[in-house]
Amino acid sequence: MKSYFDGVSEESLICAQCGYCQAVCPVYSVLGWESTGPRGHMQAARDISRDGHLSAGNIRHIFECTLCGRCQEACSTRIDTGQVWLELRERLAAQGALDAFPLAKLHGNLTTGHSLTGEAGESRTLWQDDMEEPVERLNLAAGAKVVYFVGCVTGLYPQGYPIAHAMTQVMARAQVDFTTLGGSEWCCGFPLIGMGRRDDAVALARHNVQMVRDLGARTVVTTCPSCYHTWQRVYGALLGEPLDLEIRHASQFLASLLQEDLLQEGRLPVGELDEVVTYHDPCDLGRHSGVYEEPRQVLRAIPGVQLVEMADNRENAQCCGGGGNLEAVNPDLAAAIADRRLAQALETGARFIITPCQQCRRTLTAAARRNKARIKVLELTEYLVRSYDSG
Amino acid sequence: MQELDSSPRPARAGAYEALHQLLGDYVTTDPLERSYYRRDLAAVPGALGALIGRTLPDAVARPRNTDDVVTLVKHAAAHRLPVTPRAAATTVYWNAVPTRGGLVLDMNGMRGLIDIDEERLVASVLPSTRWQELDALLHRRGYSVLSYPTSAPAATVGGWVSMEGYGIGSLAHGGLAEQVVALEVVLPDSRVITAGAQGELPVRAFCRAEGTLGIITRVDLKIRHAPESTRSAALSFPDPAALYRAIPELAAIQPAPYCVHFADANYQRAMRSAGFEPPSDHATVLVTFEGDSRGVAAGIAATLEIAAQRGAEVLDEHIAEAEWRERFMALRLKRSAPTVLGAESWIGLDQLAAYASDAERLAKRQKLSLATYGTVVKPDEATVMSLFPCDESRAIQYVLDLSLTRQLFGTAFRRGGRPYGIGVWSSPYRARAFSPAELTEITTRKQQLDPASIMNPGKLYSSPLLLSRPIFDIGMGFLAGVRRLSKVVS
Repeated sequence: MKSYFDGVSEESLICAQCGYCQAVCPVYSVLGWESTGPRGHMQAARDISRDGHLSAGNIRHIFECTLCGRCQEACSTRIDTGQVWLELRERLAAQGALDAFPLAKLHGNLTTGHSLTGEAGESRTLWQDDMEEPVERLNLAAGAKVVYFVGCVTGLYPQGYPIAHAMTQVMARAQVDFTTLGGSEWCCGFPLIGMGRRDDAVALARHNVQMVRDLGARTVVTTCPSCYHTWQRVYGALLGEPLDLEIRHASQFLASLLQEDLLQEGRLPVGELDEVVTYHDPCDLGRHSGVYEEPRQVLRAIPGVQLVEMADNRENAQCCGGGGNLEAVNPDLAAAIADRRLAQALETGARFIITPCQQCRRTLTAAARRNKARIKVLELTEYLVRSYDSG
Repeated sequence: MQELDSSPRPARAGAYEALHQLLGDYVTTDPLERSYYRRDLAAVPGALGALIGRTLPDAVARPRNTDDVVTLVKHAAAHRLPVTPRAAATTVYWNAVPTRGGLVLDMNGMRGLIDIDEERLVASVLPSTRWQELDALLHRRGYSVLSYPTSAPAATVGGWVSMEGYGIGSLAHGGLAEQVVALEVVLPDSRVITAGAQGELPVRAFCRAEGTLGIITRVDLKIRHAPESTRSAALSFPDPAALYRAIPELAAIQPAPYCVHFADANYQRAMRSAGFEPPSDHATVLVTFEGDSRGVAAGIAATLEIAAQRGAEVLDEHIAEAEWRERFMALRLKRSAPTVLGAESWIGLDQLAAYASDAERLAKRQKLSLATYGTVVKPDEATVMSLFPCDESRAIQYVLDLSLTRQLFGTAFRRGGRPYGIGVWSSPYRARAFSPAELTEITTRKQQLDPASIMNPGKLYSSPLLLSRPIFDIGMGFLAGVRRLSKVVS
């Protein structure tokens, strides 16, 4: 659905204060005060347009948002609310607002260490030490056709390692000519954009794109929806030039592999899984990038799997709470949002929540543990590989 | 913008502070938070709002259940604190905006479907459940609401009960008052009652009461089995006169259409200038049928027959489907404004053409781009909205433009119309909305139930000084004159 953005001040006047956004906002559903929902943020946008500043309370509310985009889907005047929130954050960040949150440290990590954790580049290849099967030409192989962009959460946190293992295993078995940027990969820049430091993301974008170009690859595949969204929809604008690369999310890549004859050739040894699963749409893949069907195609391609949709799915999917840097600003709020999404998943009776996102997997796994729920959360590629083992 | 008068009246400050002990974190006296409760959809310059009353509440509480509401109302009654119930606040009349400060009860925490009586086809619902949300919850179990407002994504069940409750589906299923089986209400003296069809305080006493008689805490309403089929036909009328002849004929199709919605050619132009592709450059009607497939097909066939007789073009089915999908999105036209002002009135279907003609004359005289759309909600009546663009950021011109709303209402009244919703801003038209007998009835009931007038004061029964007649008439006339003069000069 087309959305519009004519500037923060203009959109704050166009906003009808109709409350359609508030009805679907995950933050408002937890906190409940007018100031905490998008309708309140739009009033704050008016205030800052008029006065040039906001109160500390309002600043906090602007950063207490997952940037999930449900407000944009609901908006009766078709405001590109995501753009409004980002520009508001940019103005506030320029006024020093980040210092009030752990975001200031995160900003330092990203701008100096080029990663979420601020660790040196070699940390990005630690996940490779745990691989069961070695993969040739895994790092910086010149001439590879595909670059697998691993991303910070998958590559730097041990919880994410299985996703990188699964993705490399699938591509190696499918005989995809791929490599990674190894220790030379930098954060895609998405967290910087989300905290209102878009300008700082340019250097990261330039580095990553140049690395891929230097290797001669034509395709970038990500398992992270936020990396995908940033490469696919933001990098061109950040760099001021069209990106002459094909950007694909792993779910799209897998869906296209499954359509080839790889199954019969044994290069995609998909086995049977007699299981009921539900699918969680990540905001950055679904609402923000329009990818809804390919992940579901992958699940349906696994024999025996019964996919049961949650009540809110596709463009209406609820957020897991893990977006917009919310965990850094208000971890309790992020957890409460995850609990609500978990409750929807449990209503389906599924044994598994499958999601093509390491962040959603992490937040929903934590929610399942917190609530002692008998449901397991797996990333899509992991789940596909799980079927290999059953075959 | 005026400075916030954020301090509670000293004599009552203790009473507001005591609320924290009653509901803990579910009460706030924070000036910033309270400031969000000073408005609804209407854009009102701060200075003008201050002339109407004390719109900043002294405290806001978010009750979680009926017990919380009882606790709060009991406390308010004991200390004579004004209480303003509020949920989504989707009206433009300040029905849910304080006029005397006091305590706002933000009811949004009471949201959800309680249960369904499948034998009686009755759903019990918490008051702040959104209509679209409720319909989705019911659909999961094979049921559907009978009707819903055109603001269903945000409007709440309790809120619509408190208003007149006519909108999409009313043509087929009647007004909401006819669908509500029972209401749980916390009265101004904190008693909890269950209102039914009969009795001293029946359901209908609370419908149209705009939250002035008590706080609705549960609604039992009739539902239906989810329709097997929904289909719409979109008709374009190059001749506007044919449109207004066709509307009563379309509304008379049996079984009745689920919804008949119309928009004039100016509305299509406004949509285009707002950046959207209208279904047609001419006036349009969207006729929607719901029910069993055979009945729906017969309804569509009858619609096409009327279209042929009236020289209307039948638009592609996908356009009709898109229009139905977008039925809650009339406010899109705000993109070309950025503000809109207007008037929503009941108009008899036999008077639609005359109203449209009068409104067009007014628009020409006042150099307005007036867009009109409406929904047929009874076999012989429609609720009609006429809107014109303006800019609230240009305060003086905006206040002058406000005078045109009175002229628009006047245009409707001259054709037998009456306002839809009263609140504060339409309180001067109270005598148009209610008959003398109805006015006596509701005023007497208010005095009996709420002698201290703590429940949503300043609404419905009286007008603030600025809006009381003849001050209102003189003021609006003056503004209209200045506006006219300014247009002539410019």
